[in-house]
Amino acid sequence: MRALPGLRGPRGPTPGLLPFLCLLAAARPSLADGSDPDSPFTSLPVREEMMAKYSNLSLESHNISLTEHASMPIEKNITLDRPANIQLTCQLTTSRDLNSVNVTWKKGDELLENNYLINETGNILYTQYMFTIINSKQMGSYSCFFQEEKELRGTFHFKVPKLHGRNKPLISYVGDSTVLTCKCEGCFPLNWTWYSSNGSVQVPVGVQKNKCVMNGTYANETSLKITWLLEEDGGSYWCRALFQLGESEEHIELVVLSYLVPLKPFLAIVAEVVLLVTVILLCEKYTQKKQQHSDNEKEFEQIEQLKSDDSNGIENNAPRLRKTESAAQ
Amino acid sequence: MAPMPSAPPPCLPPDGGWGWVVVGAAFISIGFSYAFPKAVTVFYKEIQEIFHATHSEIAWISSIMLAVMYAGGPISSVLVNKYGSRPVVMVGGLLCCLGMVLASFSTSVVQLYLTMGFTVGIGLAFNLQPALTIIGKYFYKKRPMANGLAMAGSPVFLSTLAPFNQYLFNTYGWKGSFLILGGILLNACVGGSLMRPLVPKQTTSKSKNKIGIKGEDSGLKKIHKKKSTWERVNKYLDFSLFKHRGFLIYLSGNVIMFVGFFAPIIFLAPYAKDQGIDEYSAAFLLSVMAFVDMFARPSVGLIANSKYIRPRIQYFFSFAVMFNGVCHLLCPLAQTYPSLVVYAVFFGLGFGSVSSVLFETLMDLVGAPRFSSAVGLVTVVECGPVLLGPPLAGKLVDITGEYKYMYMACGAIVVVASVWLLIGNAINYRLLEKEKKKKQARKKIMNTLESKESEPLSKSKHLEDVSKAETIPSERETNI
Repeated sequence: MRALPGLRGPRGPTPGLLPFLCLLAAARPSLADGSDPDSPFTSLPVREEMMAKYSNLSLESHNISLTEHASMPIEKNITLDRPANIQLTCQLTTSRDLNSVNVTWKKGDELLENNYLINETGNILYTQYMFTIINSKQMGSYSCFFQEEKELRGTFHFKVPKLHGRNKPLISYVGDSTVLTCKCEGCFPLNWTWYSSNGSVQVPVGVQKNKCVMNGTYANETSLKITWLLEEDGGSYWCRALFQLGESEEHIELVVLSYLVPLKPFLAIVAEVVLLVTVILLCEKYTQKKQQHSDNEKEFEQIEQLKSDDSNGIENNAPRLRKTESAAQ
Repeated sequence: MAPMPSAPPPCLPPDGGWGWVVVGAAFISIGFSYAFPKAVTVFYKEIQEIFHATHSEIAWISSIMLAVMYAGGPISSVLVNKYGSRPVVMVGGLLCCLGMVLASFSTSVVQLYLTMGFTVGIGLAFNLQPALTIIGKYFYKKRPMANGLAMAGSPVFLSTLAPFNQYLFNTYGWKGSFLILGGILLNACVGGSLMRPLVPKQTTSKSKNKIGIKGEDSGLKKIHKKKSTWERVNKYLDFSLFKHRGFLIYLSGNVIMFVGFFAPIIFLAPYAKDQGIDEYSAAFLLSVMAFVDMFARPSVGLIANSKYIRPRIQYFFSFAVMFNGVCHLLCPLAQTYPSLVVYAVFFGLGFGSVSSVLFETLMDLVGAPRFSSAVGLVTVVECGPVLLGPPLAGKLVDITGEYKYMYMACGAIVVVASVWLLIGNAINYRLLEKEKKKKQARKKIMNTLESKESEPLSKSKHLEDVSKAETIPSERETNI
């Protein structure tokens, strides 16, 4: 395995550099604690200095693998809430000649000048970029480019952690009290602040009469408690978390309804029920009366028939029956 | 062997006409009773956060609601026996509404237990029993069909209430939702108002007998003044049912069955998620089950009504229970999503067929006049296994760490119950045949002598055939 430290894009040592490289190879430093033992690279003395300065920071290593057939650029999202040493590695697997590949690193659109290494093993080309993120200026997108016939790219996006609030609006009523919470999973902000906004202007929340900010027992959550809700308390609320590496915020919608809002449908339903029940019972009474009436008429007929059966002979039945029938109608 | 079902009630059921409207009203009442405790769980997550309660404290709300609904059965039966179905259902609707309106003002979990759990539970109890009872009064020939249609209310209401509750919650928050749900529950009163009590109709050809019967009534009243306390208690709630062979078989079989009946539904979604299926597909399994259930109930009611099945409906019930049990025993074989969907379909079919004839078989065994008391006693005894089943199953899952043992245990319990019911009912049918033959022989002898037109209360439990029922207005008329 040839370890060939490359300081810029084009590789291959020029004759003038050969003694310098021999010196470097001879004075190969031992791998420092922070660097990755699996890395196919050795570290530069420049990096050694930096590592000593920030040795109390953790090391984050991230990897992207590219093949020559990759049509889409590969992206990786990395969340970071505190300063750290970063080691980014891109590897390219290709069947073509590795010498013809041009390797560059960019932060955003800006070309990065130094501090990256290139190596090759078999038909895999490795490149590594190491740096330290201390504040928000170093956050952003870092990309490695392999230039052959077409350009292959891998991008690392560094972001502050996202906050978790509520996806849906919080619905509450006038006179109630409510609590809005914001949480950060596995991260610990330095500071929390709350804002309320009507339209586009954000106004800090804190010292108003009915609102009080309570930071939870663990630093990763915060709550805004509003005690006596008024209609104007409704609207958008923002919780903002401050990290060493930037800020993150989350939106929570609070809707304050007056008690009349659900009361109207409720009264409408009650009215509908009362109406239906009354209609049904009245209909029933009406049909019952009608039936009773027709029942009474039938009974009347029956009684007449019985009387005629008992008192008279069969001969008088027919005219009698007809008389009572016509009378009933 | 052609075993006869128990005879129709003395007041001849119309078997149609207004009866179908009553089926619709029962559909509403049964739908609210079974679906509401499950549909209200949509709010639990939010309430848990607001009241700072634990998971199990909130789950108690549904448990209390179900427990009170089942345990309130006897109270409901007593009231139905005295006042009839209509007033009880209307009071039930009012209680449900009151409970939910009060719940919207509660500030602690205990208040929710009292309002949502207890009050709404009683209200639902006052809905369930009368609805089942009145079907028995309005139908005889088409009763299985009517039962199947009415019981279909449960899955229909569950499928509509659950998403509706979600919508209400997103628009009005939990307080407003409870208020509006109170209004929705008040619609049970509309169903109640449709449950017209049946007036015993005397056909015109019997008008001569009418005058004669009135005289008999006054004579009998003198005899009944000398009733013992036992008989007076029995008038309100028929405890003599505990001597009824068919009732005891039904009760014991059902108690065994309910231990393992509901746990598979409750754990279907968690089991699916455990197999690696995502949340929404797991919830979809329940929807599939409810959908199949919705159509299975009336269809099975129709099948149970057929000429071939009706006389042997107890066997049909036993086979339906066995089908359920076998389904659960085979469930552990389903580990991919398509196989779980197939399981859900068969489960829905089994669940629907058992639910459809669940109360029809009870009516068949004890007869319509005693059904009101029977269903009250059955629900209060079933309270135990219904509430204990799911937690026990949950414990089994915790101990063994796998869901399949729970499914196998539930399947085994349900199969045992089905076998018990099958054997018990076979014996019962045979004994009923023997008793019927004895009676017919006795009647031939009695017919030569002059017989009184009415029977005393403490006589035989089995009434006579349809053709003879018209001539005997029984004193044990249980409604109006």
